[in-house]
Amino acid sequence: MTPFVSGTDRELAEAVRGFARGILGRIPAAEESGEFPRDLIGELASLGVLGLTVPEADGGVGASAVAFALVLEELAAVWPSLAVGVAVNSGIVAGTVARLGTPGQRARLLPQLMDGRGLAGFCLTEPSSGSDAASLRSTARRDGEGWVIDGQKLFVTNARYAPFLIVLARVGAADLQRPHAGITAFAVPTDVAGVTIGPPEKKSGLLASETSTVTFESAHVGVESVIGEIGRAFGQVALAGLDAGRIGIAAQSVGIARGALDRARAYAQERRQFGQAIASFQAVRLSLAEARTHLEAARMLMLRAAWRKDAGLPYTREAAQAKLYASEMANRVTYAAVQTFGGYGYMREYGVERYARDARATSIYEGTSEVQRLVIARALLSEAA
Amino acid sequence: MKLLVCVKQVPDSTVRVKVAGDQKAIVPEGVTWAISPYDEYAIELALEHKDANPGTTVGVITVGPPRARDALRQALAMGCDDATLVTGADVETLGGLATARALAKVVDEVTPDLVLCGKQASDDDQGFVGQALAETLGWPHVAIVTKFVASDGGTEIWKEVEGGHEVWKASGPAVLTVQKSQKDPRYPSLPGIMKAKKKEIPEKDLASLGADLGGPSVEIRAMEPPPARKAGRVMKDGDPKALAAELAKLLRDEARVL
Ligand SMILES: Cc1cc2nc3c(=O)[nH]c(=O)nc-3n(C[C@H](O)[C@H](O)[C@H](O)COP(=O)(O)OP(=O)(O)OC[C@H]3O[C@@H](n4cnc5c(N)ncnc54)[C@H](O)[C@@H]3O)c2cc1C
Repeated sequence: MTPFVSGTDRELAEAVRGFARGILGRIPAAEESGEFPRDLIGELASLGVLGLTVPEADGGVGASAVAFALVLEELAAVWPSLAVGVAVNSGIVAGTVARLGTPGQRARLLPQLMDGRGLAGFCLTEPSSGSDAASLRSTARRDGEGWVIDGQKLFVTNARYAPFLIVLARVGAADLQRPHAGITAFAVPTDVAGVTIGPPEKKSGLLASETSTVTFESAHVGVESVIGEIGRAFGQVALAGLDAGRIGIAAQSVGIARGALDRARAYAQERRQFGQAIASFQAVRLSLAEARTHLEAARMLMLRAAWRKDAGLPYTREAAQAKLYASEMANRVTYAAVQTFGGYGYMREYGVERYARDARATSIYEGTSEVQRLVIARALLSEAA
Repeated sequence: MKLLVCVKQVPDSTVRVKVAGDQKAIVPEGVTWAISPYDEYAIELALEHKDANPGTTVGVITVGPPRARDALRQALAMGCDDATLVTGADVETLGGLATARALAKVVDEVTPDLVLCGKQASDDDQGFVGQALAETLGWPHVAIVTKFVASDGGTEIWKEVEGGHEVWKASGPAVLTVQKSQKDPRYPSLPGIMKAKKKEIPEKDLASLGADLGGPSVEIRAMEPPPARKAGRVMKDGDPKALAAELAKLLRDEARVL
């Protein structure tokens, strides 16, 4: 029994754990080549992972935010690159379309997120606009029956796999007094003329997850591509989407830490030095104990934020706290796991340094740790005494 | 075609069972329960038939304590259409023959075209209920089955034999006891889990089925864990050549494996 987790949530997570065990063998080659196998996306679709958060009425599984977090944890414990791709497709993109889409948009777009044809992407970050997302420069202007989008988006996860991208662009001129004004979300198919996907970034970790620049040059889309209200996407799409997305990054972080700690624990019991298992040395034991404790604290923060989301309660601060704590924890725990392995930990063959490289991104994307602290402090200081 | 799969809930294969104080049963606390592995293969075989032949229905049934509901839920999550729990007092100590007779009563009601069972349950490994069920029903039985297909007016059934298989034909209803096959049982899909939650699992009272639960039975007199293994012997000091000669001698004369 775990607080916040229902029997169904647990069963869903266990089913994914069984599946994830079965894909271990495919990881090294995919990390080496920088692509995950396409057929894996199909397998995730048939298992139901891709439609996990989509309401049943829209053909999805209709699972809770708690279940989704636990499923991302399971995927990340085995393969963080895969968890990131799923988190973007089935988290922020599916969540945005399901929450704000018209019935027509839901019927058109949600199946594309669930049927295994690809993994969709979310385009917010630009060369001159990262943490200060509202300063984005991409533009959208009316043209006859539709819209024309221009701009450049950076670090777009899944770009090459995406059937469509959610793109944030500004309608009308930027207003320094009201920086959020005009920001609008569009669902842009990747095969539209004027959309160019750049070469994949060469990253430090998450090697099998694709991250690319996407350029929009007079890309024409129809009126039906506007998601939510014109000019109000900063709050409706970016902030709301990131709140939910942060629970997902917390879940990834917990999974990454768990995967690394599982390996460190096994290795510590097996590896012998000075005539005994290294797990008998107090320094190693303390490090493992510390890791386990922070890991579980992070999981509780993650579950609480997800549970609040399911209950319809505000969860902005809780999600930021979960993301901040879990991502910093994942960096510490994976560092300790590599240390437990000694020199072997530094060698790719042992599969533990990968977790440390992958963990590094968790305290950066979907809002850096510094930005999470801003969000938390803002909530704290605005509370009544 | 209407298929009925009989399943048993057993301790999961990863559980380390402990014998209870009275030596008649295992300690149930801390045990994770699962569908017996051969029964999972039987479910898989039935579901494959359903995948290939729309219109097929797959029912699943267990005679067991209330916790066995979880096994039925899992079968539903894998894709079975309906499930029935037969339960009642003393169900946990019910013998194989009584279990078969109880199942036969439900088979009479459900009238499936084929009944599938695992070839044996992984807890007591008796391999008895499937055969006893066929006998009680007066139906033919094929054992160690790895495949079946509907053919005109009946069913062709693959039975594993040393080095190959035999193909049998049943012209009417039959009981198949299923062997492990090439294809592993499927995982429950996530939508399957959600759908299974919403399905009702009707419960039948064992005593009210009208089955003869008496009659010949076997009784467990005592259970004991396997004897602890003796500690191994490590040979390390000495000249490698002499050690190898000594090892060969021990393997031949003491262990008698050479
Ligand atoms: C692997 C990966 C995948 C990504 N995928 C996507 C994606 O799919 N879609 C997408 O839109 N983006 C994506 N991103 C981008 C990511 O969200 C941004 O990198 C992140 O938001 C930070 O923005 P930045 O890189 O411009 O850093 P900057 O905003 O330039 O920050 C640089 C440093 O300054 C600090 N800083 C900035 N402002 C403040 C402040 N007010 N107070 C204190 N410190 C501050 C930051 O914390 C950071 O340490 C991805 C990034 C990575 C690494």
